[in-house]
Amino acid sequence: MMKKTKLLAVLLMLCLMTGLGAQGQVDSGVQKEVELRWASIWVGNDSKAPAVEALVNEYNAKNAGKIKVVIEPQPDYNAYEQKVRTSLAAGQAPADIFTIKFNPTTATFYQSNLLMDFSKVMSNSWKQTFDAGSLEQSTVDGMLKSLPMETAILPIWYNMDAFAQAGVKALPTTMNEMWAAFDKLKAAGITPASQMTGDTNAWTSMIWFSHFAVSLGGTNVWDKPFTDPAFVEAAKLTKRMITEYSTSDAVGLGAGGSGGHFLAGRTAVFSNGPWYAGRADLAATPFFNSIKIAGLPAAGSTKDFMISRLQANICAASTKDKAKEAAILDFMQYLTSPASIARIAETSGAMFAIKTDYRPVKALQKQFYDVASAAKTTAFDLEAALGAEVTLEFAQQLGALALGRISAEEFCALVDRKIER
Amino acid sequence: MKQRITGVGLVFNSVKWLLLLSLLAVALLPLFWLLVSSLRTNLELQTNPFGWPEKLQWENYAKALSMASLPRLLLNSVVVASCAVILNSAVTAMGAFILARERFKGRDVLYTLLTAGVLVPVISFMVPYFSFITKTGLYNTLFALILVYTAVNIPVSTFLVTAFMKSIPRELEEASVIDGCGFLKRFTVIILPLSRSGLVTAATFCFIYSWNEFLMAMLLTSSIESRTIQLGIKFFSSQFITDYSSMYAAVIITIIPSIIAYIFLHDKIIGGLTAGGVKG
Repeated sequence: MMKKTKLLAVLLMLCLMTGLGAQGQVDSGVQKEVELRWASIWVGNDSKAPAVEALVNEYNAKNAGKIKVVIEPQPDYNAYEQKVRTSLAAGQAPADIFTIKFNPTTATFYQSNLLMDFSKVMSNSWKQTFDAGSLEQSTVDGMLKSLPMETAILPIWYNMDAFAQAGVKALPTTMNEMWAAFDKLKAAGITPASQMTGDTNAWTSMIWFSHFAVSLGGTNVWDKPFTDPAFVEAAKLTKRMITEYSTSDAVGLGAGGSGGHFLAGRTAVFSNGPWYAGRADLAATPFFNSIKIAGLPAAGSTKDFMISRLQANICAASTKDKAKEAAILDFMQYLTSPASIARIAETSGAMFAIKTDYRPVKALQKQFYDVASAAKTTAFDLEAALGAEVTLEFAQQLGALALGRISAEEFCALVDRKIER
Repeated sequence: MKQRITGVGLVFNSVKWLLLLSLLAVALLPLFWLLVSSLRTNLELQTNPFGWPEKLQWENYAKALSMASLPRLLLNSVVVASCAVILNSAVTAMGAFILARERFKGRDVLYTLLTAGVLVPVISFMVPYFSFITKTGLYNTLFALILVYTAVNIPVSTFLVTAFMKSIPRELEEASVIDGCGFLKRFTVIILPLSRSGLVTAATFCFIYSWNEFLMAMLLTSSIESRTIQLGIKFFSSQFITDYSSMYAAVIITIIPSIIAYIFLHDKIIGGLTAGGVKG
């Protein structure tokens, strides 16, 4: 009995001490030094994490005794977004600085007065360091409550070794050439494309669908009802890709499996963003040096565009404390400076909405920059344009479409029902 | 004397064992796959999910332990789950004693109100819990998680322990009163020891919940000092890339304490569940 009581006492003491210790960290900002908490998604395994951490450490060293930035790691994005939503609903900002994926779902956060409106506090010279289009996309009803940081293009990846093996020497430039090349790949025993309907966004196939839809309906296609003929035709093309030119496990397959097929050389064509280029397992493949990054042949009248998205924006809590506001702005300017951004880009291969002279040395990463600058115009992908809920419905119904349970028209009508107007 | 096995008996036994072995395989294969996968490279996993490792990747475990600060998170989880279980058991035992053994007006209404919490999804408590924890200055502390896990488990624990306490013969309590036991002694000396199985069952549910819970831990904490093991597992999954093999190594590390706890407590857990099932 005595032993049990002692154990209980030790556990409670331990719990209280640890609790108070952690609490003490939050309260340390009470001193003269301004402490800024940054809820960052660029942590853990993220390729940007080491550079971001180094930048924050350098900033803290430079501003010792005045400003201290503390990174609060947010490893699971979906749960983190729920946290942001909950804290805003409870009338509090989740942190002094926080990163979000910008899309119609997170754009609703702009309605909160808890977020700093950068349009009121940004100097012109600071504003000019940003890509104007990205700034415009991040502006809602005249408010700029998040700064565009990471951007991405979502092109198509071609394994040219596989194409050569099938007797195809150049990238297809028309849809007919593409089908012909895919037929040759099939005849050579290579599955043409990685497709998938699993996960919450059917990622790989969603990118293909976005390419088709924008080419067929124009760069403003996402403003149209989902029952528009452009979407119906894009759905038919995506179905054909999945049923005729992809692996047999495409229905229900997740992004890991879809990428795995490409990495294993089982498929010749893939789609993903620039972050995939820095993977060690990709660099270890025998065809690494023969990967070509490009768009899809135009399925419609819109050509020479690239699918892109705002990958991560950065927000700040509005505050009446002038010292804190000044500290936030100082750190944000430091973080978004071309020099800082170039360092993050260099180690991660990611692309940013801040203009820099940085160009990647690695060939594959360089192709992304070349493709982005060669594109005459850009258009959002489905998820970036219509939000997480619509994309979830898209993913769920894409499986049914591929299995022939619903027609392309029915598929589009089902997705259309999820769009809030 | 040896019993003769007839042909029908042999077939019956074979089918029985085949069925049992199949069920065992269904239960254990995912765990086995997890163990094997935790020793493979990410490339091996992505190119052939069901293969064997070319070379055992023990460094996945080293990475899991170092990268996500797993030892610290593991300790936090042990503290949070243990304290939540102790606090929940203490609160529930006292509450259930009153609800099961005392007669007063509104008892059934109170019991229904308390246990109806089982039907309310935890997600609906997120905003009130967040407001309460931040306003009381408990944000980013282990104590916040202990309080919340204790509270969330009160309905199910009350339901289980009250049902168990109700089944204890009233004569035992009456005899203790004749022997001079007061209110406190009736609870501590008579009812509490007899309700041990029911309390262990409730404590098991509370421990499992506290150990596995993710969303509240994410919501109410922001630093390694106060986060739990489930958040550590997610550390291997970034916005775009997931380090599956290290994540699986982390999962294996996190389930070891549960397995050890079950090995030592399984007779009490099963005893409590079955006893509750018969008497409740």
